[in-house]
Amino acid sequence: MPTKTVLETDGQVCPFPLVEAKEAIAALEAGDELVINFDCTQATESIPRWAAENGYPVTEFDRRGDASWTITVQKA
Amino acid sequence: MLLTGLLLGAALGFAMQRGRFCVTGAFRDVFVARSTRWLTAFLVVIAIQAVGIAAMQGMGVIGAADKPLALPATVIGALIFGFAIVLAGGCATGTYYRSGEGLVGSWFALIFYALSAAVMKYGVLGDFTTWARGITVPATTIHETLGVSSWFLVAALGAAVLYLVHHHLSRPALKLASLPPRRTGLAHVFFEKTWGALPTAVVIGVIAILAWPLSTATGREAGLGITTPSANTVAFLVTGDVELVDWGVLLVVGILLGSFAAAKGSGEFRIRVPDATTTVRSIVGGVGMGVGAALAGGCTIGNAMVATAQFSYQGWLSFGFMLLGTGIATKIFVLRGPRTATRTPAPATAGV
Repeated sequence: MPTKTVLETDGQVCPFPLVEAKEAIAALEAGDELVINFDCTQATESIPRWAAENGYPVTEFDRRGDASWTITVQKA
Repeated sequence: MLLTGLLLGAALGFAMQRGRFCVTGAFRDVFVARSTRWLTAFLVVIAIQAVGIAAMQGMGVIGAADKPLALPATVIGALIFGFAIVLAGGCATGTYYRSGEGLVGSWFALIFYALSAAVMKYGVLGDFTTWARGITVPATTIHETLGVSSWFLVAALGAAVLYLVHHHLSRPALKLASLPPRRTGLAHVFFEKTWGALPTAVVIGVIAILAWPLSTATGREAGLGITTPSANTVAFLVTGDVELVDWGVLLVVGILLGSFAAAKGSGEFRIRVPDATTTVRSIVGGVGMGVGAALAGGCTIGNAMVATAQFSYQGWLSFGFMLLGTGIATKIFVLRGPRTATRTPAPATAGV
């Protein structure tokens, strides 16, 4: 049964949201999803790039408000 | 004519915010992600600017770099600066544009950076800085030592950078997830679209070239610079001496305004207050940046991006030692530091 984990990184400056995401996804099984909430502007590029480079599908990517985003990455 | 500083600064702040051009990130990625994508973009800026500088020197619009190398101060200052930008979460321009995005941690870094640069240049440590930068070796630029025209170095750098760009562009293109678009046409291009590293580098390279004649026309013979203008801003604010308000001061004020406009226009502005650890790091990083840049004679922009394009030893030596300082700090604070983000299982219905 695939699980979904929420990683709350609001308030963390880059590169920490991505560093945290890498460690969090390492603990998951293939098929599990990681929801990363972040408010560091640069991560709007660095997280999708990291997902693409690792072949992880992005199942959701949207704004939560001004300077606030959520992205869901599936471990593959 | 000083107004051109404000306008060019605003353009630079806008381009940096929208293009996510972060020199600290470029240096850090070499160690965190083993990626040279942004470092290559940074080299593109230097190469483009080098062409412009060599051309303008040839036409006699601007003079050549002529200060002897302050070897120990440059090496130590660059190392301190490179270390400090990791703590501050951005180099000089990065700190300016993140301040414009509403990051209070960057406000702290910016205030302490400008303050410590003023202390080192005009304040109680002014004599120390003058002494440290007085220890020099008789070397100015690489082409002078080699006894060749600067165009040889422009060509060599251009070839090396083209090779690196080709290396990055020849990789299979990745399909990156993007945010759902809310705008169309020019508004989409300016306030929403991802610019990409190379187009951003070209825009910034052109701005860096324009800085030379525009600044020189006002009597300030230099290109983009952040540290001295920041120190001058503080000195002006505390003394009221309007003589200190030059093209460079308007440039840095412009960066703040331009990045604010870019962030506000694209829904990326929000006042964000950091936690205690980030606040302390921002302050310590800001102080280190001012001290390091004053000793090195420039920051990642003035030295690593502008003086390198003049092929001065100070520029390239700073570039190398800033990169080293960033690497050391990244190993200590980013790769080994404690993790603080919370991980919670999503409720079963979430996101469905």
